[in-house]
Amino acid sequence: MPTLFKDLADLLEKIAATRKRLEIVSLTADFLKSLDAEETEPAVSMILGNAFPKYNQKTLDISWTTLSKILQRVTNADWKIFLDAFSSTGDIGSATKALFEKTTLKKQTILFTKPLTITEVRRNLEAIAETSGSGAREKKERLLTALLSQASPTEAKYLVKILTHEMRTGLHEGLMEQATAKAFDLPLTTVQKANMTLGDIGEVAATAKTKGKNHLFTLNFKIFRPVKPMLAQTASDINEALVQHNGETSFEYKYDGARIQIHKQNGKVQVFSRRLTDATSSLPDIVESIKNNIVAHEAILEGEVIATDNSGNPIPFQHLMRRFKRVHDIADAAEKIPLKLYLFDALYINGKNLISLPYTQRRQTLSENAGEIPLTTQIITNKQETAEKFLQEAIAAGHEGVMAKNPNSPYTPGTRGKHWLKIKQTLDPLDLVITAAEYGYGRRHEWLSDYYLAARDPETGNFLTIGKTFKGLTDTEIINLTRQLKETAITEEHRHVTVIPKIVVEVTYNEIQHSPKYNSHMALRFARINRLRPDKQPEDADTITKVKNIYEKQFAKKGRYKTEP
Amino acid sequence: MFKLKVADAKLLRDMATAISILVDEATFKIDPEGLKLRAMDPSRVAMIDFEWPKTIFEEYVCAEPTRMCINISELLKLLKRASKDEAVELALDEKTARLEIKITGKYTRNFTMPTLEASEEEVPTPKITFNVKAKTTTQGLSQAIEDAQLVSDHVRVEADAEKLVLNAAGDLMGAMITLQKGSDALLDLEVKENSKATFSLSYLSEIIKAASATSDIATLEFSSDMPIRIDFQQTKEGKLTFFLAPRIETE
Repeated sequence: MPTLFKDLADLLEKIAATRKRLEIVSLTADFLKSLDAEETEPAVSMILGNAFPKYNQKTLDISWTTLSKILQRVTNADWKIFLDAFSSTGDIGSATKALFEKTTLKKQTILFTKPLTITEVRRNLEAIAETSGSGAREKKERLLTALLSQASPTEAKYLVKILTHEMRTGLHEGLMEQATAKAFDLPLTTVQKANMTLGDIGEVAATAKTKGKNHLFTLNFKIFRPVKPMLAQTASDINEALVQHNGETSFEYKYDGARIQIHKQNGKVQVFSRRLTDATSSLPDIVESIKNNIVAHEAILEGEVIATDNSGNPIPFQHLMRRFKRVHDIADAAEKIPLKLYLFDALYINGKNLISLPYTQRRQTLSENAGEIPLTTQIITNKQETAEKFLQEAIAAGHEGVMAKNPNSPYTPGTRGKHWLKIKQTLDPLDLVITAAEYGYGRRHEWLSDYYLAARDPETGNFLTIGKTFKGLTDTEIINLTRQLKETAITEEHRHVTVIPKIVVEVTYNEIQHSPKYNSHMALRFARINRLRPDKQPEDADTITKVKNIYEKQFAKKGRYKTEP
Repeated sequence: MFKLKVADAKLLRDMATAISILVDEATFKIDPEGLKLRAMDPSRVAMIDFEWPKTIFEEYVCAEPTRMCINISELLKLLKRASKDEAVELALDEKTARLEIKITGKYTRNFTMPTLEASEEEVPTPKITFNVKAKTTTQGLSQAIEDAQLVSDHVRVEADAEKLVLNAAGDLMGAMITLQKGSDALLDLEVKENSKATFSLSYLSEIIKAASATSDIATLEFSSDMPIRIDFQQTKEGKLTFFLAPRIETE
């Protein structure tokens, strides 16, 4: 029996209504057990708010302008109902539900009416992603109209959440791992490891369902399927890194560049960005260099590319991003903005999964296979003085700082642990998401130039505001940003525009203060946008926990004012 | 072995255009008698039912029934290279699974394109009791649809014993287009029961625009709040019929 999308929507309603993790896990586990094999991955993806599995390169490419137009068309409603519901709930899905409940629907029927199943929703999402060529926008609109026409208010709520990639039920990937373990009677560590290897929890659940749980114990990477990168925490200084890594650690330059993942099999090479999107065609020079240098016939490697001037000196990050976004005139861009690649890790070589090996060993294997491609500049030391000197050298050479990597640590895809620590000299900038913006004054009066900055609450999936700034961006950047923000604008009142959180920016500041002004109860002092981070998604933004930690750490060196919590 | 030839490229091009309105990847059923395609668009709102008997073609060879799926807009790009009165040959190379397209006129062009995995989906014919049957000129119908499109993105089609009315209501503007029975545009009208149904102009206008190139006469059949059937009478033999599901207001 095909599972109805209604059942999935009902599950999500129950999950959103509770904050008890055990209940969330057990409700989800029961649901996973009830699914057919081919429904498993689509259902898991949708429950997490994703239209497709993580490794999939398909994108829906629907702007909020388009989607809101379709919602108005289908509901034929007074849009005020949506806006009122949105201002009381702050949730697009809930506002959609209210809209569907309170209006006479003008439904586009379909030819052979069938109840909306999980498989049918996935088929529609695929059709939306696959529209291309002339009339693509019109075709997308027709598909969305027909799909939303078939939905009940609750179904519409969750369809819109999936379409906008804004689930916010409190069921995050970690809990989905637990639910998968419970549903298929697997140890949690096995599920977590399988998730690291396959790069998608939906695929893990589907594998357990179709091939049996034993299959999960022997998984290996698939070439050309990107792996979630291992992430680093921040250390305040060299000493902290040495202590964390038991006295001795590997320090290497932290380049102001973009991290890439390289997959190679025989003569074929694919390069993925940090967001795991395929960047191969934008980087022909890098691809060529990999083909010419990498010895192994099969490899998954990681490296950092930086943009340089023609004499090889690093130039700012924004120029690098222009290379990544380039679709036309790639050869021309490659000539104007040359790139330099530094490799730093090897995950897989010639059929062998290396991630459980210690870092030093992986690096050894990497250097044996790298040909003439340089590895990141590295020292392994137990001496604070040597490391301090190395850090100063890195900064003098125009780099951001250093990475400290535990020489004995394994590679843990997708996890942010203490095995890798980044050390910079200033207060660590935060990657924050723009949740709202205001029009500026004077010269900027037509531009959305004052930005509300929010950190992610990993528990609820909400974004909590911690600051506001109009500083740091160029006019061109502000104009582009205005256009992007308008596309995701949900409400506009008195020159204040609330947007779907999509755009990540790197923000520097002098201090974090306690403040009743924002829902986070914290506020950045002298916030300034350092740069745009188009390579990051909202779910990569820094968490409110990290902000709290930095807030707490400030008191290591200064006293607390009595009213500060 | 499958091969066909048309003396005038326009015939194939208009057919491909009509199909491309609804589907990107078209699976043709090919047998010794002719060529058929029946498919729904990805939103499942509209469907096309198309048949060409072998008699249409200059030359038609099909040894045994097969299915062939091609990207129709890619094919269309190639067919657009042919001018009117140039001959086109299509031949399926079963070994390489590629379709060869040969255009001959002032000079000869041989294109090849890959075939895709054929869809196994069998689309049934919607079973509907129609209360209205209206025979229009495609020219008159296209004009009426263009009028409606000026004010709205959907149109209500209504009929009584005397007339066919297209009623479009936009946010600000409205339009009412009347085709009187026996007029130049409305050739015939049979009404068992007064009926009305609303359709999205996004589909309707594109279907009618594309299909008009192949036909002078369109027969509309509909009932209240049911899918409409539009048959475009082919200049030669053959069949080109569309079904379109209505928009319905519900509580």
